[in-house]
Amino acid sequence: MEDSAPMPPGPGQHEAAGDRADGRPPAAELPPPLLLSVDSVSKHYGGVRALTDVSLGIAAGEVHALVGANGAGKSTLVRILAGVEAPDSGRIAIDGTERVISSPWGATELGLGFIHQELNLVPQFSVLQNLAMNYDAGGRYGLIRWGNVRPRAKTVLADLGANFSLDREVRDLTVSQRWVVALGRSLMREARVIAMDEPTASFAAEEAERVFAIVRDLTARGVAVLYISHRLEEVLDLSATISVLRNGRLVDSLRASEVDRSSLTEAIVGRAVEQAARHHVPREMANEVVLQVEELVREPRVKGVTLDLHRGEILGLAGLVGAGRTELARLIFGADRAASGKISLEGRPFAPRGPHEAIARGVALVPEERRSQALLLRESLAVNVNLATIGRNRWRTHLPLLSSRKARAAARDMVSRFAIKASSVAQPVSGLSGGNQQKVVVSRYVRTGPSVLILDEPTVGVDVGARAELYEIIRALANTGTSVLMISSDFEEFAICDRVAVMREGRIATVVDGSLATKETLTELCYEIGQQSHD
Amino acid sequence: MTENSGVTDVPAEHVESSRRPQPDRYAFRPRRVPLPTEADWWRVLGRYGAVFVLVVMIMVFVIIEPDTFATSSNLIQILNQSAITAIVSMGLTFVLVAGDFDLSVGYATSFCGVLVAGFIQRNGLPIPAAIVLVLAVGAMIGLANGLIVTRIGVNPLITTLGVGTIVVGVNYAYTGGDPVVINNPTSFIALTFDKLLGLPYPVYVMFVVAVLLWTVLNRTVLGQSIQAVGGNVEAARLSGIRVNRVRVTAFVIAGICAGMSGILLTSLTGSGAVDGGDSYLLSAFAASFFGSAVLRDGQFHIVGTMLGVLTVSVGFNAMALLGLNTYYQYLFQGALLIFAVGVGTLARRRVAR
Repeated sequence: MEDSAPMPPGPGQHEAAGDRADGRPPAAELPPPLLLSVDSVSKHYGGVRALTDVSLGIAAGEVHALVGANGAGKSTLVRILAGVEAPDSGRIAIDGTERVISSPWGATELGLGFIHQELNLVPQFSVLQNLAMNYDAGGRYGLIRWGNVRPRAKTVLADLGANFSLDREVRDLTVSQRWVVALGRSLMREARVIAMDEPTASFAAEEAERVFAIVRDLTARGVAVLYISHRLEEVLDLSATISVLRNGRLVDSLRASEVDRSSLTEAIVGRAVEQAARHHVPREMANEVVLQVEELVREPRVKGVTLDLHRGEILGLAGLVGAGRTELARLIFGADRAASGKISLEGRPFAPRGPHEAIARGVALVPEERRSQALLLRESLAVNVNLATIGRNRWRTHLPLLSSRKARAAARDMVSRFAIKASSVAQPVSGLSGGNQQKVVVSRYVRTGPSVLILDEPTVGVDVGARAELYEIIRALANTGTSVLMISSDFEEFAICDRVAVMREGRIATVVDGSLATKETLTELCYEIGQQSHD
Repeated sequence: MTENSGVTDVPAEHVESSRRPQPDRYAFRPRRVPLPTEADWWRVLGRYGAVFVLVVMIMVFVIIEPDTFATSSNLIQILNQSAITAIVSMGLTFVLVAGDFDLSVGYATSFCGVLVAGFIQRNGLPIPAAIVLVLAVGAMIGLANGLIVTRIGVNPLITTLGVGTIVVGVNYAYTGGDPVVINNPTSFIALTFDKLLGLPYPVYVMFVVAVLLWTVLNRTVLGQSIQAVGGNVEAARLSGIRVNRVRVTAFVIAGICAGMSGILLTSLTGSGAVDGGDSYLLSAFAASFFGSAVLRDGQFHIVGTMLGVLTVSVGFNAMALLGLNTYYQYLFQGALLIFAVGVGTLARRRVAR
């Protein structure tokens, strides 16, 4: 393994820097100096070993990808680097000097920046105010010298190619613009190593491209990027080195140029995965329309959607972020009310006044944000599985009393049906991996017996193995007559769909057959603005 | 094979291995019991620390005051003293479980206490009718709180502070600030002074309310919904729970409990004082938050609230027996609350590490 190379000793590093100052080029055969090196770091929580002897090194100007299934230890490593957790053993060196990162503040001081999935911005502050946070503008008595902050902020954002004003409030920005602000905040403080956790998870293709461009630009300027992602294409495309974590151990550290997707997947999972999403399997589709949506409108995002969903069909819903897909799903589920338009379900008019009515009529939605919209994190797996069907676990049919035994039995049933990995149904869901949490949420809505199941980004933050299992579950549901509407920003997974509808600016732009729904075609269709005029 | 394979299904290889020749199970083998980790200690301390405090307190008082503290009459006295606080606190617990706040319970208790005396004394209503009407008034106060919070969307702290203040105003308008004395109070006072099988009625009321509310919270759709709403409003809503109804119901239950406490309070004193129940607000919050640190990790629940009320009552009772000044009660209650919640919070953080 490459990363087991000894750490360059501190003094030597300084010498090298001195040499260069003298104008002598660094010796050609030496590897690039490591900006950040992690040496046999271990960490355990209680009896669980989260990290075991993990070592890796990141050179200046390098994109170093960190991949691994959920629970493999990626976030633990990031938390250690961020100074949120202290390692049990092992050393961390920055510029060859061993350092102890004792707090998030200390990490910042050492030139480490972190863009977490939650961006930690203050929504009602302006961009400038957010950028100024913890930035030492040289003011005294705790005062901020805005005169110093503004020009610096301007430069930072200009370097990132941002096209929005410093005085905009962050809550008015798009998700990708906010991400740029979060990155800008790290750069304000001269971060030289930036860890990005799933930066493109909620971005559409176009915005993801922007992220890639920014990452390339950063590395060209000598910044090292630790890039954490489940999306293997972009990892392969972007990074120089890929470190694979599995069960808290570094199992491989690969040159990106020497691996392909399938060998990388194998390294992550530890076994060859059947790529459910890779080949489209044609299925018999019934002609019967279960859900019919006509000219559904709710400004600003949904501007007139007409859509048919057949019985037993898996219909994909592709589109850029902001195209109105989530909003459409919420309208069908009754989480929001439509301004105009009609929905009919099984031939009867359907205008749910809330999710409770939608569920009663057999429509279910697995929401986009697992943690904030779906899970009771402190509650047990059993409680979470039964949340949408509490009243069904009655002790006696005619008594309003519930039986916790029946609730547990129902949960156990779902655990075995969906292969949820948990120590028991009493385990709090906060301790489950992302994939298992998602299975819990899906099983909750499956238990309502839906004839229409809407899934909004069902595989975000779900590792490769669990992803394949989720596709199997979705297929099995469709085979038993459930109609599935699946929203995704990972266009590859539309391969499991019978048809894919492309949503553009609040309307269904086109519907393509599943066999034609390749990533390239769909991406193109998402961008073709004004195509309707040709039709 | 490990002993603690907590999974229900027995994998195939385990079945296989049971057919293999077993080693002599009586042979001496040192059992490998894993030593408790620091996290385990914190978990135990967080969950049972407060119970431990109660048990130690009782043991200490039994030792130093065996003749006065450890008597059945004193035990009954403690339970009786707990009843009113317990009922207000359990009602408040419902609102807290739903993730809301209710600052009006104390004022509602006072007003309901005044009102029951007024209905009997001024309007000459029979006692059962007065009680039912007063409970309805308590429910209306809760309903007002709930509707303003859910329909208009005013922050529950502000709402209940406002509604509570209005209740105080109405209370003063109704009484002119003077206590409402019941002239012939015997039969009304009997509500709290009479005993059944040696126990005063309020003790029964307390236990019935406790069992009822525990069952509602843990064994009905409503209770599970209240817990879900408190855990994650959005998840509850998207799971088909009618969040607003659930929250309003929690406020109504708190109002009814306040009404019940007001009635018992007036029966205990023979007259309705304008501010008689105000102090129950702080006691109820203290008991509920104390309870949230007991047995569960920072979640409000009925058993915890009851333990909170009882712990404070035992402390107060012992102080009275020791002849300590009243201000010690405040010191004790405040310190106890900070201690219990502090240990619970600290323990949660340590366990999470």
